[in-house]
Amino acid sequence: MNSATAVAFMRRLRAGLDSGLDLPEALTRGATALPRDARETLHRVVERLGGDYSEDEWGFDEEFAELVEPFFAFLYESWWRVQVEGAERVPAHGAALLTANHAGILPWDATMISMALLREHPLPRHPRFLVLNWAFDLPWISTAMRKVGGVVASPFNAIRLVEQDHLVAVFPEGVKGTGKPYSQRYRLQRFGRGGFVEIALRTGAPIVPVAVVGSEEIYPKLADLPFVARLIGAPYFPVTPTFPLLGPLGVVPLPSRWRIEFLDPIETVSYGPEGADDRPLVLELSERVRGEIQQALYANLVKRGPAFI
Amino acid sequence: MAGRRVLITGVGSQVGSLLAQRLERDPDVEHIAGLDTRAPKLALGRTQFIEADIRDPEIARLIPGTGADTLVHEQIVRQPGAGMSPRAMHDVNVIGTLQLLAACERVPTLRTIIVRGSAGIYGAEPHAPQFFKEEMTRLFPLRTRFQRDVAEIETYFETYARRHTGVTCTMLRYQPAIGPGLRTQITRYLARPLCPTYMGFDPRIQLVDIEDALEALVAAVRNPVRGAVNVAGPGTIGVARMIRVAGRRALPIASPLFGAVTSSGQRFGLDTQSEDFQRLLRYGRGVDIRRLVEEVGYAPKHSTARAVENWVQHAEVAA
Repeated sequence: MNSATAVAFMRRLRAGLDSGLDLPEALTRGATALPRDARETLHRVVERLGGDYSEDEWGFDEEFAELVEPFFAFLYESWWRVQVEGAERVPAHGAALLTANHAGILPWDATMISMALLREHPLPRHPRFLVLNWAFDLPWISTAMRKVGGVVASPFNAIRLVEQDHLVAVFPEGVKGTGKPYSQRYRLQRFGRGGFVEIALRTGAPIVPVAVVGSEEIYPKLADLPFVARLIGAPYFPVTPTFPLLGPLGVVPLPSRWRIEFLDPIETVSYGPEGADDRPLVLELSERVRGEIQQALYANLVKRGPAFI
Repeated sequence: MAGRRVLITGVGSQVGSLLAQRLERDPDVEHIAGLDTRAPKLALGRTQFIEADIRDPEIARLIPGTGADTLVHEQIVRQPGAGMSPRAMHDVNVIGTLQLLAACERVPTLRTIIVRGSAGIYGAEPHAPQFFKEEMTRLFPLRTRFQRDVAEIETYFETYARRHTGVTCTMLRYQPAIGPGLRTQITRYLARPLCPTYMGFDPRIQLVDIEDALEALVAAVRNPVRGAVNVAGPGTIGVARMIRVAGRRALPIASPLFGAVTSSGQRFGLDTQSEDFQRLLRYGRGVDIRRLVEEVGYAPKHSTARAVENWVQHAEVAA
C-alpha cells in the first residue's frame, strides 16, 4: 500500500466519522479507497467486530489462528529456521497424541509443532495442545492461547479432544521441563505418572513421539528467584541473560536454530482400554516414549550443529 | 406414565409458569399444583395454585393434600437481583429446600423429585477442565456464598435420596438461562450499553436457551434418572463475541480494579454483578451434557451461540 492510498483511506474514514457514522460503518466507507485485497481483509475485520466469527466449543478460532499465522511463519522461517523431519508419520485422520519435550516459559514449541504440521504434512490440520494451567490466569495470553487451540492441561480435556478425533500435543515433562536450568537442556525430566499413556490406552489413540531441538535454548534459564515467583503466584521466576534485565523485551526468545522430528507412531489399540489400569504397562510405555524422544534429541542435536548460527 | 400428579414450587417464576403451562397441555399429567408466594407469571388453566412460602413449616400440611407423585423444585434463587440480600437468598435456597424435603417425608405417594439446581456449584476456575462432568463437583474449593448454598442444597438432597430409595431424585445443574422474557443476570448484563469485562480475558461461557431449559425439565419429569445431570446448550461462546453479537460495547477494566469500578457504578443506579458472575466473566465455565442427551434423552436444540442470537432478535423486536 502506498502512502497516497493510506491518506485517501484516512481522509474518508475521518469524513465518515465526522458525519456521525459509527466506527465499523466509517471503516467500510473508508475501505473504498483501498486496493481489493486490503479491502477484503478490512471487511473481514469489520465483520469480526460485529461478532460474526465462529469459535468451536473449546474456544478455538480458526480464522484468528490464520490471522496471526504470518507472525508464527516469521518465527518459523526466519527467526528459528525450523527444519522438519517425518511430518508424514503423523496420522492424517483420527486422533493421535503428539508427545514432545517441553521448554521455554511460553509454549513456543507447541506453536512451532503446529506450524510444522501445517507446512509439511500432506493433509494439514491444526493440532490442539495442553498448556500449563498457569497461562490461563494471565490476561491476553489466556485468550490468545485458547484461540489458537490451547486448553488447560487436564486429562479430562485430553480425553474429550481425543474422542473428537483431534491431534493433541502433550508435554509430559510439564513445569519440570519448562523450569529446568540451561545446563540441563535436552535432558528429559520425569514423565509424570504416565497420564498421557493412560489416555492413549483408554481411547486407543496412537502416541507420536516428537523431538524438538532448539526450544531449550530460547530462554536460557540461569537462575530462579523462588521468592518473586511465590509473590506473583508463578511456578518459578526465571533469570535469563535478557530477563528481567531488559524488562518486557526479555520475553523475546533467542533466535536459536530448530529441528523438529516426528517419530514413528506407537499404536496402543492392541492393549485394549483395560491397559490403562495396568500400572506396569503404563510406566513401561511411558519410559519407552521418553527413551525414544531422548535418543532422537541427541541425534538431532548432532545434525543441527551449532545452536545459534 | 399416565395419570401423573405434579407439584411445582416456584410457579411464580418465568420458567415455573412456563412449565405449568407446558404440563397442562400434556394428557399424561392428571393434576398440576403450583406453589409460590407470588401469583404465576402467565395465565394458567387447570393448575391448582397454592399460595405458600416454602420456608414456612406450614407447607408440611399443604403438600400431602396434593397427592403428588412428582415434585419439581424450581424455587431456587440462581442469581440474586439488586433487591435481594445474600441472606435472603440463603433463606430461600437452603432453608426453603430443607423445609420442602422435610415436608416430602409426609407424602407417601411421592416417586420422583426433580430439583432445578445450578452448574454454579462447579465455580469458574482458570485451571478447570473445559467441560465439567457431573462427578467433578469437588475439584475446587467452594468460593462464593452462592456456591456454598448450592452445595448445601445438593447435600440435603443426596441425603434424602439415600434415605428414600423408592424415590428417584434428579438434580439438574443448569447453566445460566437466556431467552425472551427472561430477566436474569446475563440479560441484565447484555442490556447495558457498556458491558464491563476483565481486560485481557475472553473466556468461553455456556448458556441454555429458555426453551431448552423448559424441555429439559419436562424430559426429566418423563424420564427421571438418579443423581446429577448437567443442562446447557451445546457449544460455548466467548464473552467478547457474545457482547458483539448483542450489539454492545465491551468496557475492559484491569482485573484488580474490576470489583471497585463495577460496584461504584451501583451508586449511579447501574446494575452490579454478583461474585459468581464476575468469576464467570473472568474464567468462564463449560459443562459436559452427554448425560442429559444419553440418559434423560433430551438433546438441547439451541447451541449457546444460537441462544444468544435468539435473545438479541427478540430484544430488538421488543425495542
